[in-house]
Amino acid sequence: MLRLLHTADWHLGRRFPSFPEEGQKKLSRARMDVVERILDVARRNAVNAVLCAGDIFDDPDPTPDFWEGLARTFQARGDHHPPVFLVPGNHDPLTQESVWWPSHPFRARLPRWVHVVDRDDFIFEISSQAVLYARPCRSKAGQKDLAMDLPAREAGDERLRIGCVHGSTFDVQGYQTNFPIRRDAGVVRGLDYLAIGDTHSFRDVTVDLPVPTVYPGAPEPTSFDEAGAGRVALVALFRRGLRPRVDSEAVAFWKWIDVRCRDLNELRSLMTRPELDRHVVRLHLDMTVSLSEENEVERILRDLRGTDATHGRVGVLVEHLDGLRLTVGSANVFPENLPAVLKDTVARLDRLVAEALDESAKSRATRALAHLYKLLQNHDATGRQDL
Amino acid sequence: MRLHRLRITSFGAIESVDVEFGPGLNVLYGPNDLGKSTVVAAIRLGLLLPHMSTHGEQYVGWTGTGDPTVEITLESEAQRIWRVRKQFGRAGSSMLYESRNGRDFDEAERGRKVDGRLREILRWGIPEPGGAGASKGLPTSFLATALLSPQDDVGAVLKNSLQEDSTTSGREQIAAALQAIAQDPLFVDLLRETQARRDSAFTDKGTKKTAKGSVFKAAAERLNETRDEKERLERIVFDSEAAEKRLGDLIERRTGKLAASAEASSHAESLERLASQALRCSVAEGEVRLAQEDLGRIQRIETETEEAERETERLAKRIVTAEQVLNEARGRQTEAEASLKTAEEAAHAEGSDSGVTDTVVRQQLELRTAGADHAVVEAQQRIDAVTAAQKLVDDASAMESELQDLETTTRSAVETEAHVTAALEAAEEELRRCDVVEHALDTQIADKRVAEAQATADKQSALKDRLENVSAERAGLARRHAAITVPPQSALGRMRQLETELAAARGALNVGLTVTVTPKTPVELRVRKDGEDLEVSLNLQPLDIEGNAEIEVNIGDAATVHVRGGRREAQENAKNLEDRWSREIQPHLAAAGVVDLAGLDDRSREAQELESGIRAKDRELESLRAQAAELDGAAEALREASERAATCRAALGDIALDAVASDLENLGPDAVAGLRKRRQQSSKVVDAARATANEAANERVVLDERLRQSRSTFAVAVAARDGALAAFAGGLESELTAARGALKAAVDGKAEIARAFASLEREIDARKARIDAALSGARTNVEQAVAGFETAQAELTEAKTTHAATHGGLLALRRQRDAENIPAAEARLREAVAAHAALPVPERLVSEEQVLAAQNAAGEIKVQLDGIDREILEAQGALKQVGGSVAKERLRDATEAFELAARREREIEAEYEAWKLLLEQMQEADAAQASNLGQAFGPAIAGRFQELTRRRYEAVQLTGQLATEGILVSGAVRSTERISVGTREQLSTLYRLSLAEYLGSAIVLDDQLVQSDDSRMEWFRALLEEKARNFQILVFTCRPGDYLDKKAMAPKGSAVYSDTDGGFVRALDLSRALRRR
Repeated sequence: MLRLLHTADWHLGRRFPSFPEEGQKKLSRARMDVVERILDVARRNAVNAVLCAGDIFDDPDPTPDFWEGLARTFQARGDHHPPVFLVPGNHDPLTQESVWWPSHPFRARLPRWVHVVDRDDFIFEISSQAVLYARPCRSKAGQKDLAMDLPAREAGDERLRIGCVHGSTFDVQGYQTNFPIRRDAGVVRGLDYLAIGDTHSFRDVTVDLPVPTVYPGAPEPTSFDEAGAGRVALVALFRRGLRPRVDSEAVAFWKWIDVRCRDLNELRSLMTRPELDRHVVRLHLDMTVSLSEENEVERILRDLRGTDATHGRVGVLVEHLDGLRLTVGSANVFPENLPAVLKDTVARLDRLVAEALDESAKSRATRALAHLYKLLQNHDATGRQDL
Repeated sequence: MRLHRLRITSFGAIESVDVEFGPGLNVLYGPNDLGKSTVVAAIRLGLLLPHMSTHGEQYVGWTGTGDPTVEITLESEAQRIWRVRKQFGRAGSSMLYESRNGRDFDEAERGRKVDGRLREILRWGIPEPGGAGASKGLPTSFLATALLSPQDDVGAVLKNSLQEDSTTSGREQIAAALQAIAQDPLFVDLLRETQARRDSAFTDKGTKKTAKGSVFKAAAERLNETRDEKERLERIVFDSEAAEKRLGDLIERRTGKLAASAEASSHAESLERLASQALRCSVAEGEVRLAQEDLGRIQRIETETEEAERETERLAKRIVTAEQVLNEARGRQTEAEASLKTAEEAAHAEGSDSGVTDTVVRQQLELRTAGADHAVVEAQQRIDAVTAAQKLVDDASAMESELQDLETTTRSAVETEAHVTAALEAAEEELRRCDVVEHALDTQIADKRVAEAQATADKQSALKDRLENVSAERAGLARRHAAITVPPQSALGRMRQLETELAAARGALNVGLTVTVTPKTPVELRVRKDGEDLEVSLNLQPLDIEGNAEIEVNIGDAATVHVRGGRREAQENAKNLEDRWSREIQPHLAAAGVVDLAGLDDRSREAQELESGIRAKDRELESLRAQAAELDGAAEALREASERAATCRAALGDIALDAVASDLENLGPDAVAGLRKRRQQSSKVVDAARATANEAANERVVLDERLRQSRSTFAVAVAARDGALAAFAGGLESELTAARGALKAAVDGKAEIARAFASLEREIDARKARIDAALSGARTNVEQAVAGFETAQAELTEAKTTHAATHGGLLALRRQRDAENIPAAEARLREAVAAHAALPVPERLVSEEQVLAAQNAAGEIKVQLDGIDREILEAQGALKQVGGSVAKERLRDATEAFELAARREREIEAEYEAWKLLLEQMQEADAAQASNLGQAFGPAIAGRFQELTRRRYEAVQLTGQLATEGILVSGAVRSTERISVGTREQLSTLYRLSLAEYLGSAIVLDDQLVQSDDSRMEWFRALLEEKARNFQILVFTCRPGDYLDKKAMAPKGSAVYSDTDGGFVRALDLSRALRRR
C-alpha cells in the first residue's frame, strides 16, 4: 500500500491588506507555521511521499523571509524524510525570476528529499510499484490542461500512477484560463490518483469516478468564505484498479468566522466564546446603542481587539461598525451636576440634533455628544469624583 | 507685548529721540511742551498707521526737513521680536523685521503688508488696511484705546467697548486671557482635550490638516495607497478579463469558423465529388455512347449486309425469272414475228424488203437498247458503289477533322496543363524557397547561437585553463607549504621563552675561567674551550687557558680535566634547559632545516605567507569554479547549438547562405514574421495553382479519353474507307467520272436508240399503216409479243441493274462488316455499361464555377481560421502576462482593503468633525456663559477700585462687550459720568491696567492721573511698582515725583535713564533723550 499526504495552496507570503497590521502579521506567520504541522502529519502517518500541488508561495518571487523560512523548516527535518514534491502553481509559476528556478538560492538550500517540479516531463519513481507524474504552471494564467499533458498509461504498466498538477476543474468559474483540468483526466490518463490544487476548500471532484481527483484545500484559510479549508488529504492507494481511500486531517491553527451582533447581549456573549484567540473574527455590529452603551461597546471591542498593553481575546479581529448606530441626542445620560457651561454645551448639541436637516448633521452632533460623554467618563475614571 | 526701543526722527516738534525701555515700569518724564504726547503719538502711529496715510501729514517736521520716521522694536511673545520702521509721507515706506534674539533681524514684510502683519501680531481688533471695516484715518479699537489712550481722552476706555471693533481679534484675545482665569476647571480640562483632538486634525482656520502625521493624512495616504493598489489590480484584471474575453470570443469565433470551415470544406468536397462523379459519369456515358454507336453501326452494317444479300438473292431470282419471261416473250415474239413474217411475206408484195430492213434495223436498235440499258445499269451501279465509298471517305474525313480538332483541343489542354503545372511548380518552388530560406534563417540563427555558445565555451575553456593554472599554482604553494614543517605560532612563543631561559642559564655559567696546565713531561694536550677545539702543540711550558664557561683539557692518555663555570644548580638548570632545547626545539629546527629560532621565525613567516597565498588561490579557485559552474552547460549548449546548426545546415543542403542572403535581407527586421508572411503568400499561390492544375488535369483526362475514342472510331472509319477505296484503284473521282460518263453515254445512247426507234417506228408505222390493215392481226400479235418481250426485257434490265447496284452495295457492306469485330464491340459496350453502372450517380449537377467558388470559400475560411489561431496564441500570451485568477484574487483583497480604508477614512472624518463640532459648541457655550467678559473682568477692576476708594464703591458693572455700564453704589448702578473726574480717571486707569495685566501687554499712560490726590497717587505708585513685575507700563509725565522716588530719578549728567527695583523701574529723562527742533 502506498500512503500519500496531499496538500496545496500554502500561499506563503500572502498579504492580508484588509486586516489590521498586527493581524496581517499573525495570518502571514500562520502560513509558515502550518508547514511544520503538515510535515508532522506526514510523519505520524508514515506517508511515502508528500505532494504539494501548487501555490506554495503567493508570489513567484516572495521576499527572502518566506523562502528562507520554508527552507529552514525543511532543513530542520534532517536528511531522512519521505520525498516532498513542490509543484509551481499559477500564483508562483515556474519562471526565471521565481524561487523555483534552479539558480535561485532557495533551491540550493533545499534538502535532497525536497523535489521541485521544474520540468515539463517530470517523473519520479516513488517506489518500484508507484510512479509520480507532475507538471508545473509556467505562467499565472493558461489554457493548457496540465493533467491531460501527463503521459497515458502504457500497455503492461501495472504500477500505481499518481498525477500532480495545479489548475481549475471544469466546474470552477473561470476555469478556461486557469489551467483547466478535465474532470475525467485521471481516468483518461490511466492514473490511480490525481492530486490537484487551486481551490481552497477540501473537495473530491470525482466521487463518482474510479480515479479520485482531489483538492486538499489550503492548510490555513485565506478568507471567510473557505468553509472546507484548513486540511490536508491523506491518500491510501492499495492496488491498481481499486479506488484509493482519501481522508482529510485538520492542520489549521486559525478558524475564520463571521459574527453579527444585533444587540449588546449578543456582543457580550461573544466574549464567552471558547478559543477566541484561535479565531479570525469578522464582527458586524448591527445595533443601536445609547451613549452609555456605546461606551460598553467600545470597552468590549477594546477587550476583543486588545491594546498596546493587553492581548485581545480574539486572535484577529476585523470590525465592521457601519451598522453601529447611536441613539440620537443626549437622552439624559449626562449627570445633573455638570457645570453650567457643559450643560449648555449638551443643550446646544441636542438642539443641533433636533434641528438637523439631514442625517449627517444629526449623526455629527450625536457623535459630538458621545465624545463629550466619553471625555466625562474618562475624566471620572482619572480621578474626578464630583460629577 | 512689550516695547524694547523707540526711535523717532523728524516727527512733529521732535527732531529725534532714541530710548530703550525696561521690562517693567518706565517713567518717561520731562517738562511740559517737551513733546511727550508726540512721542506717545509716534508710538501709536508706528504701530497703527499705514505710512501712506494722510493722517501722518500733521506730524511732518516743523522745519519741513525729512519725513517723520518712527522705529519701534517690540516683543510679541518670547523670542518673537519685531522691529517696525515707518517713514510717513507720500514717499514713505514701511519695513517689518523679525528676530529671535533681538540682535539679528530678518526682513519679514515690507510696504503695505507691514500693517496687516502688525495687526495680526497685536490682535487689537483692528482690521487689515483696505479691508472691510478699515478706517481712513488713524485706526482704533477698544484695545488700542485701552492700551494707547491719548492724554486728552482719559476716560475713553470707559466710553468704548468691544462692540465697536471691526474685527473680533481684540475680543478673542481678551476672552482667551479672561477664560483662562474664569473657566470651570473641569470645563477647562475637557476643552483642552477637545481642543487637542480638534487641533490634531484641523488647522486654526478649520481646514483639515494634510501635513505628515495628521490623522487625515494617514487615513488619506492609506486610502490612496489602497486605491492605487486597487486601481492597479483593476487595470490588471480588466486587462485579464479583456484578454479572457478576447480569448473566449476568439475561441467562439474559432469554433464557429471550424464549423464553417468543416461545412465549407464538406461543401467543396461534396461539390468536387459531385463534379468528379459527373465527370466520370460523363466520360463513362461517352464511352457507352461510343460503344453503343460503334456496335449499332456494326450491327447496322450487318443488317444492311444481310438485307443486301437477301435483296441480291431476290434480285438474282428476279433476273432468272425475268430471263425466263424474256425467253418466253422472245419465243412468243418469234412466233408472232414468224406469223407476221408470214403475214408480211404475204404482204411482201407491198414491200417486203423494207419490212425486213425495218426488222433488222429494229432488232439492231433493240439490241443496242438492251446494251445501252445494261450500260446504264452498270454505270449506275458503279456510281452507287463510288458514292458509297465516297461517303465512307467523307465520314473518315469528317472523323479525321473531328479527331484533328480534338487533338488540337487536347494539345491545348496539355499545354494549359503544362503551363498550369509550370505555374504550380513555380509556386511550389517558391514554397520550397521559403523552406530553404527558413532553413537558412534557422541556420543563421543557429550559427549565431553557435557563436554565442562558442564564446561561452571559449570563456569556459579560458576559465578552465585559468582554473588549471591557479590549481597548479595552488598545488605549488601547497607543496612548498607542505615542505615546510614549523610549529604553530603559539609554540614559537614558548620556544622563544625557552631560548631566553637557556640564554639566561648559559649566562649564569658564563662566569669566566682560567685554567693553567703545567706539564711535567711533554704530553699532548688537547683543549676544548667553550665548545671549540683548540690544537695545542707539545711543550713543557705552562699553558694558560681562558674560557667563558667551560674548558676541557685532555691530557694525553692520562686524564681529561673538565672545568665548568657556575654553580651546580645553574649547571643543572642549564643542562635541563639544554635537554629541553634538544628535546623540544631541536627537532623543530631540524624539521624546518634551520639552526635557530630566527630561522624558524623566517620559515614560519614563509609558511604563513604560503598559507595566505593558498587561501587567496582557494578564493580565486572558488570564484573561478563558481564562474565555471555558471558555464557548466556551455559545452552541452555548444554541442546542441552545433548539432542544431548542423541539422539546419543539413536541411539547407548544398545551398550556400550567401545564395539566400538577399531573401533573408528582404524578410525585414523581424525575419521570422517576414518569412511567415512570405510562406503564407506562397501557400495561397500554391493552393490556387494546385486547384487550377487539377482542373486542367481533369480537362486533359477527359479530352484524352475523348481523343482515344475518336481515334478508335476514326481507325474503324479509315478501315472502312480503305476497304471501299481498295475497289477503286484509279480513284473515286475518276471512277465516278467514268461511271457518270458511261451512264451519260448509255443514257445518250438509249436516247439516240429511242430516237432511231421512233424514226424507225414512224417509218414502220407509216408502212404499217399501210400494211397494218393487212398485217394488223399478225402485227398485233407481234406487237403484243414484242411488248411482252420488251416488258420482260425491261424487267430483266431493271432486275439486273438493281441486282448490280445491290450487289455493289453488298460487296461494300461485306467489306465493312468484315472490317468490324462485333464481339469486341459488344464486349466494349458491356464494359462501358458495367463501368458506367458501377459509377455513383451524382445527386445533382454542379458547374466548375460552383466547385471553384466552394473551394475558394473553404480556403478563405481556412485563412481566417489561421488568423484566429494566431490571435488566440497572442491572446494566450497576453493572458499569461496579466495574471488571470491570481489578479482577481488579489483585487478582491485590495478591494476589501480599499473599502476598509474608505470606511476608516469616513469614520475618522466623522470622528474628528464631531470633535470639531464639540469644540465649537463648547467654545460657544463658554462664550455665552462667560458671556460676558464683563462678568469675568469686572471683579478684578472692582476689587482694586474698592480698595482705592476704600470701598466707597461696591463694584464696577461691565457689559459682555466690556462696556462700562457704571459703578455699583449701595446696590444701584451709577453712571461713570456721575463720579468725579479724578475718580473717573483713576477708574479708567485701573480698568486699563487690569486689561493690560490680563493681556500681558505694554500699556502707555500719558499723564493719566493728573487729577488724583497724593494718597491715591501713592496707592497707584505702589500698584504700578507691583505690576511692573508682570507687564510693561510706560508712564509719560511732567511730574516724575508722582511715580518715582528721588533716588530713582536719572542722575544728572549724560545718563538718559536709571534703573531701580531690580531693573523693574526705569526712570527715563526725556529732556535728555529727546532733541527738539
